[in-house]
Amino acid sequence: MMGRIQFPSTGGRGTDMEDKVIEVNFGPQHPSTHGVLRIKVKLDGEIIVDAQPVIGYLHRNAEKLAEMGAYPKGMIYIDRLDYVAALNMELGYVLAVENLMDVQVPERALWIRQMMVELNREASHLIWLGTHGLDMGMLTPFFYCFRERERILRIFDEITGSRLLYNYFAIGGVYSDITPKAIDMIKEWTEDFGTKLEEIQSILGKSYIYVSRTKGVGTLSAEDVLSYGVTGPMQRASGIKRDLRKDSPYLFYDKVNFDVPYRTEGDVYARFLVRIEEMRQSIKIVKQVLEKLPQGDFYNKKYSKPMLVRLKATGESYVPTESPKGEFGIHLIGDGSSIPYRVRIRSPSFANLSSIPTMLKGYKIADLTAAVSSIDPVFGEVDR
Amino acid sequence: MIPVESESSTKNGIKVIYVAKENILPFLKEKKEEGFDTLLMISGVDYKDHLEVLYHLLSSKNNTRIIVKTKTDGEVDSVTSLWKGADWHERETWDLVGIKFKNHPNLKRILLAEGWVGHPLRKDYPMDKKQYVNLADDGEDTVSFDRGEGY
Repeated sequence: MMGRIQFPSTGGRGTDMEDKVIEVNFGPQHPSTHGVLRIKVKLDGEIIVDAQPVIGYLHRNAEKLAEMGAYPKGMIYIDRLDYVAALNMELGYVLAVENLMDVQVPERALWIRQMMVELNREASHLIWLGTHGLDMGMLTPFFYCFRERERILRIFDEITGSRLLYNYFAIGGVYSDITPKAIDMIKEWTEDFGTKLEEIQSILGKSYIYVSRTKGVGTLSAEDVLSYGVTGPMQRASGIKRDLRKDSPYLFYDKVNFDVPYRTEGDVYARFLVRIEEMRQSIKIVKQVLEKLPQGDFYNKKYSKPMLVRLKATGESYVPTESPKGEFGIHLIGDGSSIPYRVRIRSPSFANLSSIPTMLKGYKIADLTAAVSSIDPVFGEVDR
Repeated sequence: MIPVESESSTKNGIKVIYVAKENILPFLKEKKEEGFDTLLMISGVDYKDHLEVLYHLLSSKNNTRIIVKTKTDGEVDSVTSLWKGADWHERETWDLVGIKFKNHPNLKRILLAEGWVGHPLRKDYPMDKKQYVNLADDGEDTVSFDRGEGY
């Protein structure tokens, strides 16, 4: 078991070299940075003394772009924030706009939305699980995870017509109804995904190498989590049981049964267990939505497509939602015209990533990839 | 008690509190002691005649949230002494909106390259003027309006 080393330390070398700290550059083109993350690491021997992340390589200012067009036009930029969980991003925007304009949404559309974001959460966590395994030197879970994710993407393809960026949620509902074929596909998927997940978990969780490389590595205390504004599975792995789906329910999360998994260790292994358990809970939610899905309209007939670009709004609104990475929300300020005055994106990965200096200090360089991938950063969202 | 200038709320009922700019640090300190332990984000808004800084606070125990706003002409006290997470949010607000934070330990641009001209989220930012970034191997990145000197 490796743990955090207290300073001052000689890092296993003689005392004659004590003040020789070298600086190593990690990324931005390194495969284990999950995008374009660059970390300036200061090393004392092989122990990390200081780690400063450098971001901004994927910056295209989505906030400004969304402030340049009508309300529904902002959606395509919001889609491209967290591109592996695009529906969760769309949900944050759509809820904020509907709240600002007092748009009524039919029940069926809300249930469809809830099911789609849960499926997308599964897809996002599967990508994380696969690439996290890859970072820990395991190739097999990567293929297993991407095989399962492919099935979810085929469901999305059937319902929305796209595989990655959907533009599916519209102001006042969703763009298309669920087909009977899609319902069969989802049912089939919910029935056997649980056993597949068990299989994937056992590959990692029963491996002595994986467990010993992740237990006690990259720990964040509950105080640090609060101080950095870290949210989502990372927060729940550090002993703070908060989930916006339970604490401030949106959609119909108060009408389905699910648990909020949490651990108190705060290390990489705890984050792994929390995310796996979250995926199990998501299957439960999807099953319940399929049972409760009511008949009716899938969008509000008052808000037809040509009408959408003329919508005007005043005031401000912020609706927090639980994205796979943490609290995602959009602060919208309207000035009475059909173009939003200010679109401020609260991105969970940005805040989670800022905890890297505290998370890595005192660990060995070999723990860096494990800790960084446990954050699950997606750079479309960090750099916006 | 720190005086509050005015109060309002968002459409879904989150309380919005306006505080004078010189009181922002003591006010947020007071709120932190009241139980608002998480700083979710700091953002800036350009209202053409003045700038506004927004602080989204969350109390994880009581499950309540507030938005604290302050009007400024471009400078406000840093809250990095209260929350570690404020560091990046303040750097981003400086980078994109151009609000300076007094006593911030490292107030540099975070998303754009150092040397970028202007702050993109200002309403008077020229959108038609392209800037070309030259990533330096060592030291600071440089930015130029000349197409030949970057990409």
